[in-house]
Amino acid sequence: MNYISQNQKDKCDMLKVIGVNSVNELFDMIPNSLKVKKLNIYGEKTEQELLNYFANIALKNKIFVSFRGAGIYDHYIPSLVDEVIGRSEFLTAYTPYQAEASQGTLQTIFEYQSLICSLTGLDVSNASLYDGATAVAEAALLSLKVNSKKNTILISQALHPEYIQTIRTYLENSRAKIIMLDISLDGSIKESSVEAAVNNNDIAAAIIQSPNYFGIIENMQALSCVIKKSGALFIAVVNPISLGVFQAPGEYNADIAVGEGQVLGSPMSFGGTTLGFMVVKKSLEWKMPGRIVGQTTDKNGKRGFVLTLQSREQHIRRERATSNICTNASLNALAACVFLSGWGNHGFKNLAETNMSKAKYAFNKIKSLNGFKAKFKDAVFFNEFVIETKKNIKMINKILLKNSILGPLDLSGTSEFFKNCILFCVTEQRTKCEIDRCIKILSEI
Amino acid sequence: MEKLLNELPSSDVAAYTIKSDIKIDVKVPEHLKRSISLGLPSITENNLLRHFTNLSRKNYALSTVFYPLGSCTMKHNPLINERIVKSEAFNSIHPYQPTESLQGAFEIMYGLEKDLCELTGMDYFSLQQAAGAHGEFAGLLVIAKYFKSIKQSRTKIIIPDSAHGTNPASASLAGFEIISLKSESDGTVLPEKLKKILTSEVAAVMLTVPNTLGTFEKNILEISKIVHKNGSLLYYDGANLNAVMGIVKPGHMGFDVMHINLHKTFSAPHGGGGPGSGPIGVKSFLEPFIPIPRIEKNKSKFTLNYKKSESIGRLKSFFGNFHVILKAYIYIKALGGKGLVSVSEQAVLNANYMLARLRNKVDIPAGDRCMHEFVLSPKSLFRDNIKTLDVAKRLLDYNYYAPTIYFPLIVEEAIMIEPTETESKETLDTFIDILSKILFDEIIKEPQKIKEAPINTTVCRLNEVEAARNPILKWKKQ
Repeated sequence: MNYISQNQKDKCDMLKVIGVNSVNELFDMIPNSLKVKKLNIYGEKTEQELLNYFANIALKNKIFVSFRGAGIYDHYIPSLVDEVIGRSEFLTAYTPYQAEASQGTLQTIFEYQSLICSLTGLDVSNASLYDGATAVAEAALLSLKVNSKKNTILISQALHPEYIQTIRTYLENSRAKIIMLDISLDGSIKESSVEAAVNNNDIAAAIIQSPNYFGIIENMQALSCVIKKSGALFIAVVNPISLGVFQAPGEYNADIAVGEGQVLGSPMSFGGTTLGFMVVKKSLEWKMPGRIVGQTTDKNGKRGFVLTLQSREQHIRRERATSNICTNASLNALAACVFLSGWGNHGFKNLAETNMSKAKYAFNKIKSLNGFKAKFKDAVFFNEFVIETKKNIKMINKILLKNSILGPLDLSGTSEFFKNCILFCVTEQRTKCEIDRCIKILSEI
Repeated sequence: MEKLLNELPSSDVAAYTIKSDIKIDVKVPEHLKRSISLGLPSITENNLLRHFTNLSRKNYALSTVFYPLGSCTMKHNPLINERIVKSEAFNSIHPYQPTESLQGAFEIMYGLEKDLCELTGMDYFSLQQAAGAHGEFAGLLVIAKYFKSIKQSRTKIIIPDSAHGTNPASASLAGFEIISLKSESDGTVLPEKLKKILTSEVAAVMLTVPNTLGTFEKNILEISKIVHKNGSLLYYDGANLNAVMGIVKPGHMGFDVMHINLHKTFSAPHGGGGPGSGPIGVKSFLEPFIPIPRIEKNKSKFTLNYKKSESIGRLKSFFGNFHVILKAYIYIKALGGKGLVSVSEQAVLNANYMLARLRNKVDIPAGDRCMHEFVLSPKSLFRDNIKTLDVAKRLLDYNYYAPTIYFPLIVEEAIMIEPTETESKETLDTFIDILSKILFDEIIKEPQKIKEAPINTTVCRLNEVEAARNPILKWKKQ
């Protein structure tokens, strides 16, 4: 393929106007010793060849009926989402620097911000961050800026392990210390363990995920009381679909809500591309990382939208910016906006409840199978749950895979506490028939 | 004016519904239950489709207009990329599937790493970073970790004042102090000046080559020599890689670490602000420090290696922005080595042609030649309080997206133009005609028209000051 549109005559004419004899002359400031002789990259494929070439590679990826979540989820994506994000006017635009020529992007981001605020019950959303992990890390950085005299971040041990690793990377060269909050025997974080940790008065923020990595809904209200009393910021990491049923971060007085937005209309796509969302209390808006869209008017009083609060950002404040982020995940935020726009309150609640009921159905059946039991008997969970088994976990998953089922995630490596444990995920996508088939296979192992 | 979603007519039946084939009651304990309204609109698909389609039409996009946004490399986004990415085998795979069932994805990532190595002269690449700034951050963490490993305390990074704002912001995030280096009027770095501020505390010097004024760093070999002699490392900001593919390799120039913006040079669309992808490349002595997991190839099988004790760790969850990575790889396979060289040649030819048509008429601080982009400083042409911002807005009236303005910061009233290789001579000519008309004609005859621009867009000039002074960041509850 070749995406260049000049013909030979154009090129000659252009060289003449420039006043050089050849294109090579345009590179004459580059030392000859540095000039590349040949690029050893094969290609030059036609569109048809590309299609076949990548179809062959695609065959080496396998598609399964998924009972696995752990951060990336198989949810239904309405047709409208693809239709809208596929529109080239959205797809091929840049960050909306020229507001008057970018009202489409700007208004949809404003709508995205509004919907995310509504869902979380908090005041101010940004235009998106890279993903859930980086959103949590940015929230930790934000809390260190707000609580500039405090140095410690409390992190739930039940936060997604890759989020914990990402926070560690982000804080590596900062002054911050990390203290982990242990998981109690029932799979949740207890107020008492937070109480013990906040005693030292140095806590900038506490990060709690709910539903946590093991699917369990934390008692966020109770945890919030203890955390807020200490003067620390409360960072809630939430699954937006679970908010159809469970308390919103605004209800339990969280300062910041962050999380992975993939569940809102982005496919699993090997874990990327997704989006991170961040919503904060009004008092924190000037500390927020990333783009923010605001409403304003033009000179005729007509409503319009612009990028705003820009003096927080790197292109203006350089090393003193609230974050280094520039490119974010705008298109995925658009997908989230379209996804959230068409359910209505009842439909969205129903979506969340369907996740719960399907997961509960599978949970009830699996825990009563021979050799399987519930790890956390009385826990409230959303669409994921932990099962302890006497069977060989590798064997279970091997047999399920043979039946085109992506089975539960093996948690054995997580810690001694999770030895022989597996994490199931059941979303609204799984049919009763698929769940029953999975259970039947498990019962025969 | 397009209504907001919450102003559209509310319908009893929303566009999406879900039905469950399992009926069991789920009881949520009262103290965990949501009690505030979700506040979501209930709109039919018909109305939603119109709403979003109408909004899309309020965007100037690469698919509708020339987008000469300097430093952003707004080149054509090939349609085949989008078609292949939509395939179920790339869309519906879970990151925690067993590696045997993800061999296709790993083959693509491994292949791209190798091609990027060949293209840049670096030894290893990591594709995990989600954007250019994310890549900078990772690269700087690698540098910090390296010096820690050889037990040297180096806490400072030198960055020219012509650099992108992300450079200092990333360096600061990585825990470094920033020393700003005053660059020359063409944005280049004088080796003697650099020498004076190179101390034993300097970990690295970050350079953009060609720089943000579109000038190649002609003393790069000398710079590389003095930086390395000082025990410091050299960082390459790859934002402008589109100028030099197959012409010169950062690795050969002496750079130790670099990042690439796949959404610029390698044709992945920008989506109105992302997602992007910012791979980092390093020389082999820095390989132990790059993010995990690493993809490794044993015979013909790809595996993941998490066991790299000196690695900086993880920069985000999972494996990076796979969709963007895949689009970049498709692009490289479409062009091949030869095609990539012609991309840079044409990008540089196009920019020089536009520059040649404007030279002697507008101040061009970097001189009469450029690489893939150039910066105008039309200040001396301005009168009646007209500024670069007004010129940019007036271009919108002529159905062009505006160039990058007021950047780099070292150029007064900067207008930064990057045509890319995929624009025709006719497009370049008509754009220069219009820009000339505004700068040389309208400024004198119709200054009011420029001051009041834009008038042909869906809204007129928006009040940004008011937006920041009295922030309205979400819709009011109905």
